[in-house]
Amino acid sequence: MNVLARSVGNAFRNKVRTAAVVAVLAVAIGLALSMLVANQAVAGKVAELNASVGTVLTVNPAGGQGFEGGGEPLTAVQAATAAAVPNVSTVVGTKALRLRNAAAAAAQAAAGQGGRGGPGGQSATTVTTSLTAAVDAGTLGNRNQASSGTTGTGTSGGAATPAAPAFSLPITATGVGAEVDAAGKALELTQGTGLGDYNAASAGALLGTTLAEKNGLAVGSTFTINDQTFTVAGLFDAGTAFGNNALYLTLPAAQTLAALPGELSTLIVTVNSMENVDAAKTALQAALGSDKADVSQGQRNLQTAVSSLGSVKNISFIAFVAALGTAGLIILLIMVMLVRERRREIGVLKAIGAPNRTVGLQFVLEALVLVALGSVVGAAVASFASGGIATALISSNTTSAAAAGGAGTGQRGAGGGAGFPGGGFPGGQGNPFGGANQLLTSVTASASPGVIAAGIAAVFGVAIIGALVPALLTARIRPIEVLRGE
Amino acid sequence: MIEVKNLVRTFNSGDKTIKPVNDVSFELAQGTLASIVGKSGSGKSTLLSLLGALDKPTSGDVVVNGVSLAGMPDSKLTEYRRRDIGFVFQQFNLIPNLSAVDNVMLPMEFAGIRKAARRERARGLLEQVQLDPEKHVRRINRLSGGEQQRVAIARALANAPRLILADEPTGNLDEQTGGHIIELLSSLSRDHNTTILVVTHDRSLANKTERRFRLQQGRLTEEPARTRATAASPA
Ligand SMILES: Nc1ncnc2c1ncn2[C@@H]1O[C@H](COP(=O)(O)OP(=O)(O)OP(=O)(O)O)[C@@H](O)[C@H]1O
Ligand SMILES: [Mg+2]
Repeated sequence: MNVLARSVGNAFRNKVRTAAVVAVLAVAIGLALSMLVANQAVAGKVAELNASVGTVLTVNPAGGQGFEGGGEPLTAVQAATAAAVPNVSTVVGTKALRLRNAAAAAAQAAAGQGGRGGPGGQSATTVTTSLTAAVDAGTLGNRNQASSGTTGTGTSGGAATPAAPAFSLPITATGVGAEVDAAGKALELTQGTGLGDYNAASAGALLGTTLAEKNGLAVGSTFTINDQTFTVAGLFDAGTAFGNNALYLTLPAAQTLAALPGELSTLIVTVNSMENVDAAKTALQAALGSDKADVSQGQRNLQTAVSSLGSVKNISFIAFVAALGTAGLIILLIMVMLVRERRREIGVLKAIGAPNRTVGLQFVLEALVLVALGSVVGAAVASFASGGIATALISSNTTSAAAAGGAGTGQRGAGGGAGFPGGGFPGGQGNPFGGANQLLTSVTASASPGVIAAGIAAVFGVAIIGALVPALLTARIRPIEVLRGE
Repeated sequence: MIEVKNLVRTFNSGDKTIKPVNDVSFELAQGTLASIVGKSGSGKSTLLSLLGALDKPTSGDVVVNGVSLAGMPDSKLTEYRRRDIGFVFQQFNLIPNLSAVDNVMLPMEFAGIRKAARRERARGLLEQVQLDPEKHVRRINRLSGGEQQRVAIARALANAPRLILADEPTGNLDEQTGGHIIELLSSLSRDHNTTILVVTHDRSLANKTERRFRLQQGRLTEEPARTRATAASPA
């Protein structure tokens, strides 16, 4: 028998009460750990966003964006002009194409549906492919399809409507001048290799993982675009279902397919440092001319995302601290109750010569036994609940952010139901709120052992503080209590 | 040697003050077996608590082997209780969820004795108070009152104190067991030179002690000295 053994024994003296205390502690500790996990996940994402998109500027043709709008296309001349602007470190040109499944396009044409496309001038070229989209049209896709310029169905009597073939989503093919995605972020290749020189025509292509899977393709497989054969050189993971329904070609290959050599959809301009972004943006806009090009800041587009993530981070941190405080308070109250209840017994220990510190230590250890049990159950609760809690926090927060940003754009590019690949970047990543939504939902709250360990350390720290007060109270109990009647 | 000098303890209950210990003075030589008798509420337990440093007197002093308890810091008083005093309480005051052996081991744990050594000594003491060996590891709240009293006595002996203060140690025991406890205490004082002060209602028990005190409304008087009923040697 020693102090620790006595403390453990005392913790189980009243089993029903111990179970109740452990349950209440587990809820508080579980909540605290979940909030910490959510906080860490969001903090990680914010850092990642700041690091990856903080210095990227995007140049679109004036009045146009992606497959929408009008104006004059960008050219290699403007890319060279952009590269000469001070503080610009790299300029990557892209050419976006919208690929339609050849069979589906033929069927649709036969059914009398007009050529589809955005309402603007840039996507007149219809490019067909042997590939099938990895994303089902779903409710959002069909709704967008119905509202975006399809002609000839449904208006002249009900007969044509049932015969309309299922709408299949287009696939975005982007020719890039470097191994980056449409938002300027380095491509994350999971298999195979890159395309080598991205400014030379090549029959190689990089496919999103889900697109490759849907079409049964692996590295080395072939497929066609406009009857031209391409070989899969590598697979990438963009982290989202939408982002993975895409493929990348070398810039000249895409330009050739579009039959528009020298023409660029966007320029991805990387500025050498965060501080120079604003100045570079102004200089770039001036150099290219505001009638020719629109310069937008990736960071600006993502600022909403970052700031709403920031508020999720703050909320989760406050909730973590509050739950931690609650756990400490529970321990404090329980231990105060136990000390009062065992007043006489404390008197006995002192009467037979127990030093104050031994008695105090015994109660602190007893509290820690309860906290340890609460932490085990709480960590289990957290590992189940943290994902759900993080998602709930994020979605409730971004719903309000999207709503505040204006109707109409909020739904775009969200998850697997993307209706059409609109957005500031051809990949659909940059539309202010669509992009934000996508980034937010891609925050994964995984309970890493390190974070859980840090959380439990914090719980123990708070518990020791909570238990110290009642332990100090025991020092004030005099040995004469032993003679008091119960 | 214990010297009690003008000891006073007052309590304020409501508007009146009571003095269960009112100017008590006496001396006990080391190894004496003494008893205190008195009516219920006469202040016997209060006096013992002052001698055992469970409580502090309102005035007066207790001097043990030349060392005064008055003005001793709390940590020293704790050490005094642990090392020099063995208390047997009126209501046993054992720790209910520990076994008999664990209870007896407690004072030795506080004194920093190694686990194996304290277990061995605890077993020996429980044998000395004649507790069945199979009951040594039984939890206290599964023992009878008499068995608990014997464990309480064994615990009081744990650190081989110089002074044992026993508050009605035989109150819960039948005559035979009670007689045995008295013999045990008596042989302790004789063989180990332990001073023993026993509070009792039991006249026949009191008659077996070398010195007999009577407490009446807080005042202590000594009854005429007798020779030991059980042994020939006088004090
Ligand atoms: N903390 C206290 N506050 C007020 N009064 C007290 C306190 N402790 C004891 N008393 C009173 O002091 C008196 C003496 O009590 P004490 O317990 O010493 O009596 P006792 O002689 O041991 O009696 P018994 O034989 O019944 O055990 C009683 O009247 C009791 O009510
Ligand atoms: Mg009493």
